[in-house]
Amino acid sequence: MGLGKTLTVRAISLLFVLFFVLFLTVVVIGATGMSDRILNSMVKDRVRGITQELATQITDPEKLKEAIEAIEQDLIVAYGLDKPWYVRMPNMVWRILSLDLGNARTVMSFAGSNRVSNIILERMPNTIFLMVTVLIINFVISIIIGVKVATKPGSLLDRATSLYSAVSYALPTWWLGMLMILTFSFYIRPNNQPLFPFGGMYSAPPPTDPLGRFLDMLWHLGLPVMTLVIALSGSWIYITRSIVITTAQEDFVTTARAKGLPERLVLWRYIIRAAAPPILTNLILSLAFYLGGAILTETVFNWPGMGLLYLQAIMSVDEVLILALTYVFTLIYVIARFILEVLYVIVDPRVRYK
Amino acid sequence: MSSYLRESLSEFWASKISKLGVIFLLIVVAVSVYTIATFPLDYGTRYWNNPRYWVDNPKAAEPQWINYFLGDKKLGHTVLSTNMPIKAYLSGGYYLKFYSVSYDLTVNQFPTFINLKLEDVKYHTRAPSATIFITRPDNKTIELYTLTIESPVPNEVPPYIRYSDEPKRILLSGEQYVVPLRLSNYLLQEYNLSRTPSEVIEIGYKKIIFGEITEEDDFQPLKGTYIFNLVLKARQGGDLIGKTTFIIGGQVYGLMGTDTLGRDLSQGLLFGFPVALLIGFAASFITTAIGASLGVTGGYIGGRVDNVIQRVSDVANNLPQLPLLIFLTFVFGGKLWVILVVLIAFGWPSLVIVVRSMILQVKSASFVEASVSVGASKWRIMARHIFPQVAPYILSQMIFFTPSAILSEAALSFLGLGDPSIPTWGQILEYGFDHGAVYLGYWWWILPPGLLIVFSAVTFVLIALGLEPVVNPRLRRRR
Repeated sequence: MGLGKTLTVRAISLLFVLFFVLFLTVVVIGATGMSDRILNSMVKDRVRGITQELATQITDPEKLKEAIEAIEQDLIVAYGLDKPWYVRMPNMVWRILSLDLGNARTVMSFAGSNRVSNIILERMPNTIFLMVTVLIINFVISIIIGVKVATKPGSLLDRATSLYSAVSYALPTWWLGMLMILTFSFYIRPNNQPLFPFGGMYSAPPPTDPLGRFLDMLWHLGLPVMTLVIALSGSWIYITRSIVITTAQEDFVTTARAKGLPERLVLWRYIIRAAAPPILTNLILSLAFYLGGAILTETVFNWPGMGLLYLQAIMSVDEVLILALTYVFTLIYVIARFILEVLYVIVDPRVRYK
Repeated sequence: MSSYLRESLSEFWASKISKLGVIFLLIVVAVSVYTIATFPLDYGTRYWNNPRYWVDNPKAAEPQWINYFLGDKKLGHTVLSTNMPIKAYLSGGYYLKFYSVSYDLTVNQFPTFINLKLEDVKYHTRAPSATIFITRPDNKTIELYTLTIESPVPNEVPPYIRYSDEPKRILLSGEQYVVPLRLSNYLLQEYNLSRTPSEVIEIGYKKIIFGEITEEDDFQPLKGTYIFNLVLKARQGGDLIGKTTFIIGGQVYGLMGTDTLGRDLSQGLLFGFPVALLIGFAASFITTAIGASLGVTGGYIGGRVDNVIQRVSDVANNLPQLPLLIFLTFVFGGKLWVILVVLIAFGWPSLVIVVRSMILQVKSASFVEASVSVGASKWRIMARHIFPQVAPYILSQMIFFTPSAILSEAALSFLGLGDPSIPTWGQILEYGFDHGAVYLGYWWWILPPGLLIVFSAVTFVLIALGLEPVVNPRLRRRR
């Protein structure tokens, strides 16, 4: 299988995941009558807008009422509300795909719009920024510590990391976040100032100069990133360690050592080079945890991303937002997975040269 | 078979990790059994989510035991009841009955509130009145409040019973009209201090009632014995109050403290044990049953069935779980069984993939070929030779899935999608977080529920780790 074909197969299977999620959500909202409610409220929103416009042109109340009713009927047909939900399913899938889902109930974007697409697009970068930061930090940490531990299996550090990874598996990220706030914002406050902020992305009011703004953002990023790193790095370190240990027992490593190559070279060129693809595979598989972790961490730290938006949507019982968020999270997940798959192909020569 | 089982058991029992896991599991199970035996099943709706049940408790009180660590002790919560008057006499045509309780203020703190609760008041002709006054350690007396029992309604026949279904509650420390006036008079008479009723509200009643004035015109707690009296002024000798209760609010309460509704957190935490176990066991058992049977079927039968199972589980295994969990519990409502079904729906695929590949491996083993050659039936080979090979792995996966079910339920609860009729640890944390427990430093509200989630999850992680050498013979220690 060539490089292009491998990637195409992966892309298709990931697209399948995306469409499965779309299909599932559309069937669920259709069968529960939720899509009727969503479309109805969209029609009502449109009618309200048109009424205001028409009221300035048509002065006769009877005629106005007739005109509005006619428009409402047209809209109902246009939105497919006169047909059962399974007939308009493709239409609904397209709506979700293009985020054309009307207005959120109470949540507004920072710029003041209540269109679902505006709200979500505004928050997306914040979530991606948080996730990518954590991914990179965890990757570096797991490689450095995992390899270090693997060279001395059975040592005190090794046992400590094993324990840590077992405990972190059982540790709810969001609870850890609360503990971090309690510790670093509530209890540790040098000069009566919290060491880290209680939450949010910027201080109120935010600093005006760009550098100050950036530093302020980093200060706010500290606790959420620390939380996610502590909660999620354990399993990565452990996996890296196991893979490196297994690889180090391979014959070609023994051969390299027998040739008298320096240990550093053996470690990096023979062991880690060979261990990289399986490590990356595990990284790919744990991506869903990062997404979940980001959702929960944002709600704890009031980080204005899509995870926090989830909580706000749940609290204001906003069906449209929840639907849109579920889709967008799946989309991000699928894209991130694909990027990692490409990376995998780059790291693993066997896939390339087959 | 039995020797294999015995060997596996001794292998499992040999590691310290599994022993610890088993001990933890015994603790969790014992507490759950105790809770189920002592709590009503509708505890959540009947008590936990019924604010009236908790109204006499101090709000957001720390656990009592912190006093062992504090130099400056905090005030405990006190509930004092009496059902017999200590004295009664006739004066000016009225029967005066004294219902009194005594209260010792031993620490250097002011009580947080004073409530009065009256139950089963009975009278025969005209409605009696009740006056509350407090005698302080320095023998000063404060007349605090007077109330009149509700008069008979037309056509009502004596004796008139009041407050038998629902006790009468007077939040003395929250009263805004009579108490400040009386306290203002008291300050003027006893200390020659002129304070208007609104100034009294500003100072706080508790400080005036339980304090003495320092040189800087400030109040400091006056330790000693206070007598709380309620004098019933009745027309008939037979008029009486069934039960009089004074509640003097403290700063600490019980083993685990209270939340901002005054709920005793130790009860909610206890109730969380069986719920967590139920979610963990039910979800992991059903998930494993589905996953394992699909995996075994696919791997053993092969062909088109296998293909379908493989495709479906591959897609399902690659779904982003939490967003879909949120979506589905949101749409179908936060009921415990909905959460369980959703957890199961997303749990099984990963098991299918692994079990299937294990089956494929075992299927090609020579002992299976041997069975086939002697004419053993498909089912016999399956039951006698293939399934026992993968069974320990399936068991360990079941145990390994248990904590993730517990954690997922807690996460959903934290997002406000839990089952509101059943208190869980996740919900206690959610309520605490929503009510600013983290920002106000209410550690007793945040730490214990989370620690219990971790504890119950770690229990199963330990057991799963202990099973590892049993499942994976390469990891077995040499004997």
